[in-house]
Amino acid sequence: MEALPCLPGCGAPTIPGEVSSRACPYYGARWLLALVKGALHLVHAPVGCAYYGGSVRGKAYRMLSTALDEKEIIFGSEAKLARAIREAVRLFPEAGAIFVYGCCAAGLTGTDIDGICTAARRRTGRPVVPVGCAGFAGTSQGDGHAIAAAALVRFLVGRAPPDTAAPYDVNVLGEFNNGGDLGEIEDLLGRLGLRVRCAFTGKADITALAGAHHARLNLVHCRRTGGPLAEAMAKEYGIPHLPVNFFGLAATAASLRETAARFGRERMAEEIIRAATTEAAPVLESVRRHVTGLRVGLYFGASRVGMMAAAFRELGMDVVFAGAQFGLAEDYAAAGAHMTVGGRLKDDASQWQLEDFLLRERPDLFVGGTRERFLAHKYGVPFMVFPQKGKPYAGFNGFVNFARDIVKALRAPVWQFIPGRWAHVLGD
Amino acid sequence: MRVTEIPVEGIPYDQLKVEKIPAAPAYAPRDPELVAAADRALVVNPDRTCMPLGAMWAVLGVHRAIPFVQGAQGCTTYVRYTFCRIFKEPATIATASFHEDAAVFGGRRNLVEGLRNLAVRYRPEVIGVVTTCSSEIIGDDMVSFIKAARQNLREELGAEAADRIAVVLINTPSFAGSHVEGYNRAARAFVETLAMARNTSSNRVNIIPGLLYPGDIREIKHLLREMGIEATILFDISDTLDAPLEPPQQIPYYPPGGTRLAEIREMGNACATFALQADAGGSGARWLERKFGIPAVAGPVPVGVAATDDLLQHLSRFTGRDVPAALRAERGRLVDAMADTFHHTMMKRVAVFGDPDTVAGVTRFVCELGMTPVAVAAGTASKRFAQEVEAAFAAYRELFLDTPKVFNGGDLFEFEEYLKTLPRLDLIIGNSKGVDIARELDVPLVRVGFPVYDRFGYQKRPIVGYRGAELLLYEIVNAMLDHRYPDDRTQQL
Ligand code: SF4
Repeated sequence: MEALPCLPGCGAPTIPGEVSSRACPYYGARWLLALVKGALHLVHAPVGCAYYGGSVRGKAYRMLSTALDEKEIIFGSEAKLARAIREAVRLFPEAGAIFVYGCCAAGLTGTDIDGICTAARRRTGRPVVPVGCAGFAGTSQGDGHAIAAAALVRFLVGRAPPDTAAPYDVNVLGEFNNGGDLGEIEDLLGRLGLRVRCAFTGKADITALAGAHHARLNLVHCRRTGGPLAEAMAKEYGIPHLPVNFFGLAATAASLRETAARFGRERMAEEIIRAATTEAAPVLESVRRHVTGLRVGLYFGASRVGMMAAAFRELGMDVVFAGAQFGLAEDYAAAGAHMTVGGRLKDDASQWQLEDFLLRERPDLFVGGTRERFLAHKYGVPFMVFPQKGKPYAGFNGFVNFARDIVKALRAPVWQFIPGRWAHVLGD
Repeated sequence: MRVTEIPVEGIPYDQLKVEKIPAAPAYAPRDPELVAAADRALVVNPDRTCMPLGAMWAVLGVHRAIPFVQGAQGCTTYVRYTFCRIFKEPATIATASFHEDAAVFGGRRNLVEGLRNLAVRYRPEVIGVVTTCSSEIIGDDMVSFIKAARQNLREELGAEAADRIAVVLINTPSFAGSHVEGYNRAARAFVETLAMARNTSSNRVNIIPGLLYPGDIREIKHLLREMGIEATILFDISDTLDAPLEPPQQIPYYPPGGTRLAEIREMGNACATFALQADAGGSGARWLERKFGIPAVAGPVPVGVAATDDLLQHLSRFTGRDVPAALRAERGRLVDAMADTFHHTMMKRVAVFGDPDTVAGVTRFVCELGMTPVAVAAGTASKRFAQEVEAAFAAYRELFLDTPKVFNGGDLFEFEEYLKTLPRLDLIIGNSKGVDIARELDVPLVRVGFPVYDRFGYQKRPIVGYRGAELLLYEIVNAMLDHRYPDDRTQQL
């Protein structure tokens, strides 16, 4: 019997002095809310927080800031915030809502952001949403996701009047449309006759959010970001939810089946699955020949570590390391189930631990974000960026893209020019 | 004298360009009362970030140095991410990991334990302790914390090993200035903490480059080499943030290069200090002047002919070395390039934005090219910036088609709204934050300064020195040619 890797402890604060990839709750809140179309984002803090929050997932956004200076830190910044909100509405009258992020400085000086937002809501007649996401208010960006999700449910969801003509509407929670993933998912659901009403937050404008509570089912894609939303919407509006996973053929098929079953469309699902798998088979077969038995390490934000571990396994690769910046025990359980014996699971892996892995285990491939990418390159390890850029990895078509990208990463001729013993990566 | 637009090769300027696409249809004129940043409490699209970033940038230029950020994790991660994106390199920065307890009880434990963990795991030679808005608001007494941390390190590692690690405290309350000031404070903190004087006169110079890229620093080194001058470059990111891919055989990974601790200690013996960017590094140079009587030259950043001449003359004056023929030839090549291209640059309207020193330097250079800087904007307000650009304008005013507008501080929203009111604009020079403005106005953007994250290799291409200016010149001309210049006119440039 294979021993599963043991689950790491989760949610503990990073130890001081570590080089961690974790960020702050503000980062997490931005990550989730950035995509809400038609909303303004006002950061109540010194100018840095807004500057950094101006790009999320490699996309640029307009950022507003109160840019607190010394005197406001000492004498209070509430008047300035109130004025800034007034100005924001005058400059951008088309805005459907304003998110007001309270960062470290505001939190420490005890600014009453909620009060100011309540007053501004009354005055401006539109949602002015306080997002209390001070850097120390949680152990990682994960806590910011929860804060942002709660703000969405409290201030934006459910504002539209009742609407009963939507028997086949679903929401997708925890889906951010990286590289067009949402398009693939929408397309698959569309073929089942289902309509995605709102995706949190890959397809979310103020109207879609206002009517999101009319959906019949919530599909939870990323558990970490979608989970709290699903709970809240179940409690408030009684909408059932279903965990899904659209990474990998097997997972996509299973998710489609389960979703279809909720609407009595099993036959349609089977047809879609049969056609899609037949189409994907030849490409995947040739990819498998290149990658079977190669060792891969993963380092992601959270839930997707489990999903992606399964996807790599499906191609015959050995997942020997899986880490997340702020995973949940169930994410690790999911990842662990697809790992090789002796593989390592790490929560909040530090740069030191990643280096240790890269140097000692010499994986054939490493998968992660920007910060890990250049580190892996320095160790001569082929790297694949995730979340991916430019093309979907979700769904049946996405899986083919994903498989092809693995081969591209492995076979780039650059790896043969690296001094020393790294040429083995090239394989056949 | 006012010169009207000069027709080039028989085509009047107005006809050189195909008609301009109007600003996007979604654009509605904004409330004029609120366009000027000075009239607003709100900052929209800031072109400056907070102090800690500048300090971290500096520390990463020191050999085996790691910044330790006394604050919550975001401040560290955001900056690491920013550096990774710009330099395409890993950036090792440690966090104090502030949480609820630190917010309530202060960050003493975080610092003491943090320095210990960092020292044991990563074995740095230098730790730059960088404060943030949080630790400054809580009122952390960093000096006494560091003392306690040192004591703790001694007990754990033994006095000798512990004392080998230099700890430099850089106070950077985010709300008291921008990243430019953060770098400035780091320069001062490093020389204050580490530099010593042994009363031996030396011919070495100190260079504090400021927020310049690896390519710029390489170019500065090239100038010094050609001049035969030995120098300490404080915060030399030319190798640490542009390292070759040669897999290390041990962990932790440290990039090669960076200013050596021993060199920094020697900075008190130099014959002059050059802070190439006055606002970013000038205070370090001035401190060395006050303390050890080492003459300080702060700015201007050597972009373009006159400013590079200036730097070489100063270097020559302090070290007694002549400017060699090789550098004169480089200057000649730059001037030749300017002669070859002036008909493409003369009277072109350009807007420049970014960090104050860089913008001042680039503005002067575009004046040398005969362009009209219609608007120049520094994201960080600076007295020197205003003086430097005014001086450049004064020298070239008679060539200008319009009176330049200077934005000192302010935000990119104000800058963009102003550019939209101009009758014509040919070029924008600035960082990647200007992409949307350039697209909206349908004007080409030449990327210069901090940050450039959407192009490859820009951090390796110098803009300083004669060679840097020549490359920048080509970039400027080609950007305009690429942009709707009639194809049948490009056969004989
Ligand atoms: S840790 Fe605090 S100050 Fe830093 S980016 Fe996050 S919210 Fe802003």
